[in-house]
Amino acid sequence: MFDLIAPIFQRLNVETGWNFIIFYDRYEYDRFLTGISISLQLILWSILLSLVIGVLGAWVQTARSRLLRGVVDGYIQLFRNTPPLIQLLFFYFGLGAFTPQVDMGGYYEPLISSFTWAILALGIFGGAFNVEIFRSGIEAVPKATAEAAESLCFSSWQTYAYVTLPLAFRISLPALTNNLVSLAKTTSLAYVISVPEMTYTLNQVWSDNINVPEMMIVLFLFYVVVVSLIAAGLHVLEKRLALPGYGR
Amino acid sequence: MRALAKPFRIDVEAVSSFLPSRALRGWHGILLLALFLASLAIATAHAQSGAAAGPPSPLATLVEWIPFILRGFLLNLGMSFLAMAIATVLGIGLGLLQLSRSRFLSLPAWLVTHLFRNSPWLVILFVVMLLVPFELQLPGGGTFIMSDWLKATFAFSLPVMANVSEIVRGAIVSIPKGQWESAESLAFTHGQTLRWIILPQCVKRAIPPWMNWYALLTMATPMASILGVREAVGNGQAAMEAAGARPELLVPFYLFLLLLFFAYIYPISIWTRMIERKYAVDS
Amino acid sequence: MNSIATVMRFPALVAVMGATLLAAAAPAQAEGGRLEEILERGTLRVGVLGAFKPWSFPSPDGSQQGIEVDLAQSVADTLGVKLEPVVVTSANRMQFLQQGKIDAIIGGMYDTAERRQIIGIIEPAYWTSGPTLMAKEGAVASWDDLKGKPVCAKQGANYNKQVQQDYGPRLVAFAGNTEGKAALRAGKCVAWLYDDASIMADLASGEWDGYTMPVSVLFNNPWASAVPIEELDKPWGVFMTGMAYKWQADGKLVELEKKWEVKPSDWIAEQHKRLEWDESYLKGQ
Repeated sequence: MFDLIAPIFQRLNVETGWNFIIFYDRYEYDRFLTGISISLQLILWSILLSLVIGVLGAWVQTARSRLLRGVVDGYIQLFRNTPPLIQLLFFYFGLGAFTPQVDMGGYYEPLISSFTWAILALGIFGGAFNVEIFRSGIEAVPKATAEAAESLCFSSWQTYAYVTLPLAFRISLPALTNNLVSLAKTTSLAYVISVPEMTYTLNQVWSDNINVPEMMIVLFLFYVVVVSLIAAGLHVLEKRLALPGYGR
Repeated sequence: MRALAKPFRIDVEAVSSFLPSRALRGWHGILLLALFLASLAIATAHAQSGAAAGPPSPLATLVEWIPFILRGFLLNLGMSFLAMAIATVLGIGLGLLQLSRSRFLSLPAWLVTHLFRNSPWLVILFVVMLLVPFELQLPGGGTFIMSDWLKATFAFSLPVMANVSEIVRGAIVSIPKGQWESAESLAFTHGQTLRWIILPQCVKRAIPPWMNWYALLTMATPMASILGVREAVGNGQAAMEAAGARPELLVPFYLFLLLLFFAYIYPISIWTRMIERKYAVDS
Repeated sequence: MNSIATVMRFPALVAVMGATLLAAAAPAQAEGGRLEEILERGTLRVGVLGAFKPWSFPSPDGSQQGIEVDLAQSVADTLGVKLEPVVVTSANRMQFLQQGKIDAIIGGMYDTAERRQIIGIIEPAYWTSGPTLMAKEGAVASWDDLKGKPVCAKQGANYNKQVQQDYGPRLVAFAGNTEGKAALRAGKCVAWLYDDASIMADLASGEWDGYTMPVSVLFNNPWASAVPIEELDKPWGVFMTGMAYKWQADGKLVELEKKWEVKPSDWIAEQHKRLEWDESYLKGQ
């Protein structure tokens, strides 16, 4: 791949001055590929974590215990109403100091790396929105459905996992798509704790090579493509899951 | 109307379901305050176990610097007001253009809307900060200095502009077609129908998502600190550096910043929710 | 950044803002010369960095303090005008100077050939420093020890790439000094790559017991103050040259090292000795 495109971009640079160094310089090319891979992993894992939190949180909110509901409620309000940037800094610098580390002789390989902290912080941030989204989905599922399941001797978790959630998930999908897309975009904030994802990588490239406009175009394209793919994927899912006559 | 989730399309219903739908209570704020005090106590105890004399406690350091951080926060507020004003004006224009019957107008408006809706704020911030010149020559001949905070304000207004554009478009589309037809039968022109019949109804529907975007915008303003704008987070970091960059400062300082934003955003969330409920009942 | 050319190469942006961005203005030039302008205005505007302890950093009331602020104050005092320190960043300080927003930079800036093309670098320089490391005692013995290990750095430092390519560390670059040093302190990296002047100041502050500066600097680069390039040989530039000379010769810098508790630098002592006028011939008269 590299050998194929390198001459083209090399010539583009010589002839027009458009310096897409990431496509013809081996060092920058490798850096770029690493950036893509880290960004995609970051997006994938923080979305998965946020979904797990969303499902569990929404389940807890159906619980009878006021205390449990209150805790989840507090979590949602705290994370929805504060800037994600400060949340990331707080997690990484504030809590990062209290987590276990492995002594590597002079420095510590933290058990929780900045990459993991980014996943945790972003997942928890996105999860706060997902709980709300799933909860309104659950509320839209007719009470009679859950009662019917209960009469069939389903436990409360079984009712939730096999009956309520699958229906609620379908209702929640459009709002979920929005939130996940927004979460994918928010992963660029991992830049502030030096996770070498796309924004951070291209930032390094353009400060080393003074080709800001070119790298900005690549950065825009990257996010537009990723965001479109996520939205399109969830849209396909929504169509395939649609129950005839259900959910309006 | 069934909510759509086509790529590059958003529906207003989905946006408003982002809003807190459970009653918000004052105790959330008390909870955060309690967490804050507890962590301060831990940080202080941590520092005291180290040295009896030595530097002042993290809490004392924070208290000393609070006025400085609050001064930075005023800039966050200023940026959020100005950016929201720009975003609203441009966004309404863009939203109307999207619905224009001429493809030459609607297609570019659609493109601009979706470019800015689908790019991360941080990326847009970088573009504006690094590529917009520092000084603009106005058509009249004067020059306009784009200081960093002003550039950041403009950058933050772009994604909000795109979303306001979608809110406007969504709100107008959601008005039943019959209203257009009846207006036409009363000899209203297209513009008159828009101005006197459609838009007044849209305002109500658009207010809750508009307020929600204001909250999101305000929470995005700390990003400007990455590029050297001296708002609350930037000032907080400068204060930590001035106070000796001691690691035990990190928890109380960042926690204070979280609390500061929470104290401002949370009431807005409650208010938004109230308005949304009221209009939901009305219609 | 040559603004208009760069913008024109970015079509999406131009599409949005083309209407407002007609042209990037050339710096407006006042006729009377900058020195006259400053005296008329009654205030001197000097660009200083925002959080660069102990050279320039905020005090709790929001005003700037530090060595560079004191240097700027000495210029203002000599002129009999008020000092207005303007906080700049390394990214915007040269633009500010070119656009006339500030009269001079005294902001931890390396004197480089590239910069001399754009702004009027004042000789002599007032400080000197180079990239080095701060690490826990015993963690690092030489530059070669960095290979494959995480090293905290400052984003945009011009020596990052050189260190990366010559010694192969895993560079973790942060936007702020506080974050970079906090990451070192938390053990997230084996060393903090930064200017020796700043590292020495940290070590002298007493906040970094158990840390050292284990390697010598890669190179040394003087820090210079600067005026707009067209002012370099005009009264304002010549006046600043005189001030820069006096900072060295009169021992102002030696005095500031003491005041701000910076480890005395050999270079400053040497400069002071070299530039201090030998007045011994007066005694024989």
